[in-house]
Amino acid sequence: MKRLLLAVGAGIAAFVALAFLVLPIVALFVHTSPGRLIDQLSDPAVKDAFLVSLRTSLIAQALIVLVGTPTAYLIATRRFPGRTLAITLVELPLVLPPAVAGIGLLAAFGRAGLLGSTFDALGFSIPFTQAAVVMAVAFVASPLYIRQAIASFEGVNPDLVSASRTLGAGPARTFLRVVLPLARAGLAAGIALSFARGIGEFGATIMFAGSLQGVTQTLPLAIYAEFARNFDTAVAIGAALVLFSLVLLLALRLLLSWQISFSTRSWFRFGPSTSG
Amino acid sequence: MSRVLVAAAIALAVASSASSAPQAQITVFAAASLTDVFPKIDRHPRYSFAGSNMLEAQIELGAPVDVFASANMTLPQTLFAKHLCSRPVVFTRNRLVVIVPRSNRAKIGSVSDLTRPGVKIVIADKGVPAGNYTLQVLQALHLSDQVLANVVSRENDVREVLAKIVLREADAGFVYATDAKAVAGDVKVITIPKKAEPGIQYGICVVPTGGHTTEARAFVKKVLAKKGQKKLRAAGFLPHR
Repeated sequence: MKRLLLAVGAGIAAFVALAFLVLPIVALFVHTSPGRLIDQLSDPAVKDAFLVSLRTSLIAQALIVLVGTPTAYLIATRRFPGRTLAITLVELPLVLPPAVAGIGLLAAFGRAGLLGSTFDALGFSIPFTQAAVVMAVAFVASPLYIRQAIASFEGVNPDLVSASRTLGAGPARTFLRVVLPLARAGLAAGIALSFARGIGEFGATIMFAGSLQGVTQTLPLAIYAEFARNFDTAVAIGAALVLFSLVLLLALRLLLSWQISFSTRSWFRFGPSTSG
Repeated sequence: MSRVLVAAAIALAVASSASSAPQAQITVFAAASLTDVFPKIDRHPRYSFAGSNMLEAQIELGAPVDVFASANMTLPQTLFAKHLCSRPVVFTRNRLVVIVPRSNRAKIGSVSDLTRPGVKIVIADKGVPAGNYTLQVLQALHLSDQVLANVVSRENDVREVLAKIVLREADAGFVYATDAKAVAGDVKVITIPKKAEPGIQYGICVVPTGGHTTEARAFVKKVLAKKGQKKLRAAGFLPHR
């Protein structure tokens, strides 16, 4: 009897949790008819926001991978003083409120910020440009990639790396032919995670880059602006972003199963870095 | 075990919600430009300051509100037409001005200087009262195209415009005279030619969704009374008639 009650209680809890999580998303899609939802997306402001989001996210992601991969490899394979600190610093933006990121970016890169006068002397300023959006996105999204990349590189069997080196391959060749293929699923998962976070970036962007249609107004900023103007349009953008995130999540799941079937050794692990 | 926790959580929630309603505290939704002055008129209500259009949207979506104070008359009139608030009355007036950072690096001396290429201008978004007034002013001065080409950001309320100028991130912004007065040490004010002044009236109305209409009416009375008007004038607002 007691067991039954517990099972029923757990079932109710699960139902409440699922309903709570799913209902707002369902509500986005049933708010208006699908036809009207698609109509709303033809608004030029939505198209502009989509292009700005896509462009800035892709550039930010390219930079994150370009700079983040060597950083992660260094942290994963070398033991050096301050390594734990480095990992903590890399992960810090993950737990920072986006508004803090925004005010920090302004204080560092704004016209009146730490580096503002330097940039001024060089003849440019960052706030209100797409570069500012890219920086805001990179700031909040890169930790997700770097963290995942560290874990992936740590999962590569060091014996395979030394074997490759013993057989005469240089460090660059070893990295490209042995390490990267072994870590690729994890790295791809990291890209998916950080891209999803970057697409959703709001707080740091609106503070650091402002909001201008076609220049700095990303999809989340457009939702906020449309909320006060046309609620249906805001809902339509929201629904589109849900679909996009769903696709990313499915891709992530596929990548994870790929990684697991790909690894045959027990040393292989997937998850956040636990060393250091 | 989990049931016990859930029960405890519910009990706690019920207890805390019961204890947090001692007497009727009204909720006032007010234009961002009223941020400094309303608490001086009455510090008791729960205030939410934002762009008036954002607040209007929230009221339409059923937010529990007792008073709506807007930086224009059209938004409260829209709500009145939908039976979502009482007939709005004008409670104060304001002027639109251009502000530049005290350092004024872009060397802006008049509204027409805003047309110079490369000047970074921040305005409130269309739909936000301050944004609509800005567009009206530019149209009246026949400067819309050139000035709008220099706009680098359209903010969601007038106080965000103010912040961008105080932080010196932009060269010029359109805000209310009262906003400029609130940060007088940080900015320089450039007045807008009289012929282009949009005639800014602030409207206030009682919203029934909050459930405290009697207290809400008392609040409106307080704002319209001599004492309230005095506070508004001290903050730079203009008498309502």
